[in-house]
Amino acid sequence: MTDEAIIADNLTYFYGQLTAVDHISFSVAEGEILGFLGPNGAGKTTTVKLLTGQLVPKGGQATLLGLDVARRPKEIQAQIGVCFEIANLYEQMSGVENLKLFARLFGVKEFDVAALLARVGLEGRGKDRVETYSKGMKQRLMVGRALVNRPKILFLDEPTKGLDPASAQAIRNVILEERARGATIFLTTHDMLEADKLSDRVAFIDQGKIVALDTPHRLKQQYGKRLLKAEIAGADGGLETREIVLDSPDTPALMETLFSQENVITVHSEEASLEDIFIQITGRGLI
Amino acid sequence: MNTDMVKALVVKDLTLFFRNRFFALITVLGLLAYIGIYYLMPNTVDELLAIGFYAPDLPPVITRQLADEGVVIQEMGSEEALKAAVVAGDFPTGIVLAADWTQKLATGERAQARIYFAADFPADLKESYVILLQELAFRISGRPLNIDAETEVLGVDRAGAQVPPRERMLPILAVLVLVMETMGLASLISAEIETGTLRALLVTPLRMEGLFLGKGLTGVVLAFVQVTLLMAITRGFMRNPLIMLVALFFGTVLTTGVSFLIAAVAKDLLSVIGWGILAMLVLMIPAFGVLVPGAVTDWVKVLPSHYLVDTVYQAANFDIGWQSVAGNLLILLASAAAFFGLGIVVLRRKFR
Repeated sequence: MTDEAIIADNLTYFYGQLTAVDHISFSVAEGEILGFLGPNGAGKTTTVKLLTGQLVPKGGQATLLGLDVARRPKEIQAQIGVCFEIANLYEQMSGVENLKLFARLFGVKEFDVAALLARVGLEGRGKDRVETYSKGMKQRLMVGRALVNRPKILFLDEPTKGLDPASAQAIRNVILEERARGATIFLTTHDMLEADKLSDRVAFIDQGKIVALDTPHRLKQQYGKRLLKAEIAGADGGLETREIVLDSPDTPALMETLFSQENVITVHSEEASLEDIFIQITGRGLI
Repeated sequence: MNTDMVKALVVKDLTLFFRNRFFALITVLGLLAYIGIYYLMPNTVDELLAIGFYAPDLPPVITRQLADEGVVIQEMGSEEALKAAVVAGDFPTGIVLAADWTQKLATGERAQARIYFAADFPADLKESYVILLQELAFRISGRPLNIDAETEVLGVDRAGAQVPPRERMLPILAVLVLVMETMGLASLISAEIETGTLRALLVTPLRMEGLFLGKGLTGVVLAFVQVTLLMAITRGFMRNPLIMLVALFFGTVLTTGVSFLIAAVAKDLLSVIGWGILAMLVLMIPAFGVLVPGAVTDWVKVLPSHYLVDTVYQAANFDIGWQSVAGNLLILLASAAAFFGLGIVVLRRKFR
């Protein structure tokens, strides 16, 4: 057994002439949360499909828990959980029936369905048909379904997309609990704030290639500008804003001038967001 | 192969099938309707030939003779009344013999007769009425035909024991039940593809062969239970229960394969119904041949449902042995295996 839960080595996939995943290589350590970020059509979902054995790579290799995904997909799938971007539940079955079905497919004998429902905030609604659930409830049930086999690796594809704040927070809490349990989490999202909050490292994917991969902090250090923003009282009684770049050789002098010669009302520090960095690297936004 | 997984899939599919109000309703109502149709159809065959006559000159002894041979003579008061009765559908044919008809026959003169046919009377049978009149003429004139005709019935002589319409209807009803379930299963699979639940199933330890086994079992169980129920209620198992069961089982495997093919080409419920009706029409053609003998010709044997229909018809109505339907059953089994296999291959491509 290796310490790396996921290894992608030169992984490649194309649909006809379109290269969806272009020779990407990365690894994810056991117990780590990797945020996999990119705009729509960047290759995120295809990467997830390759890593979870839904697609066979056209080139390269994916290894999960020391096993080649293309050769032993079912052994791997028994140890992972996948939460899809689009709700794909059996709507005419209840929440309990959905969870029990997948528990049986995973061969899980001992299974506390009530506890799992409570974990994802669906206590009291388990016997209702899924067709009566709200979007947030369906998404939480999908996360619950991905947990029925206590997976070693959890793949979450846009788990909080379009959800109300309470549902999104409930899912983020489950992600952190799973990490605390020791699960490795592959989190696909284009919510940069969420990735920043949850991920140990983030990878940016654009046009099938990984263009950056590091911790959010180091990416910000490497690519972002840290600013100090100050509001000062203007001569006409109004407020003016001054910005000082913190990583410049002139910064100490500019700071001294600001505080000695101006009437400073407020001071804020500001660092680049992951979205700013993505735009800086790729030249385009995430949508 | 993990049987618990397959069992879980079958239970899930059966649950979803009966929670789909459309298919649940169609299944129950359809079965009741088929049983109702069966019992509403006549259970006897009228082997008498009714003919309307306006023939004031015809000796009563002739009409009695004809009646003994299975012909019912209904004498009318006038030619106009006879024509009205034929138009009204009281008789398929009406024969008018002039008042001097017998006399002319006796003297060797040429006698005139007129035959009225209903608009829908089969053209190829019209000539037989002319022959009937000629026979009648010879009897009256006392000059019998100088012909020795020897008749022989090949197989079981069904005179007086013809297969009634309701028993001829039975193969159509069986095919209808099977095809309705075909649409139900195709709709379940198509919905799995459309909603993405199939993707969720395929990232579990469930293997593709387990998935197909589960779907196949669901299709076979759904169709077999219903068609068996239909046959039991309509007394289809009275003569050859084992042959009937085997034929129906092969039929359910065949239609399950067809449902895989429909699911592979259909995108939603509407297209499932569209393709399903097409499949139903094609599969039912041999059954129409049983209902209306002569309606279809030998080309119907290229349709696999012919072998199901023929076996069901024979097993329900005649005392037959395995040997007489062995060929049918073998071809049916081969067709069922071919369609099931083809369905899996085509559907598997779509799953990817």
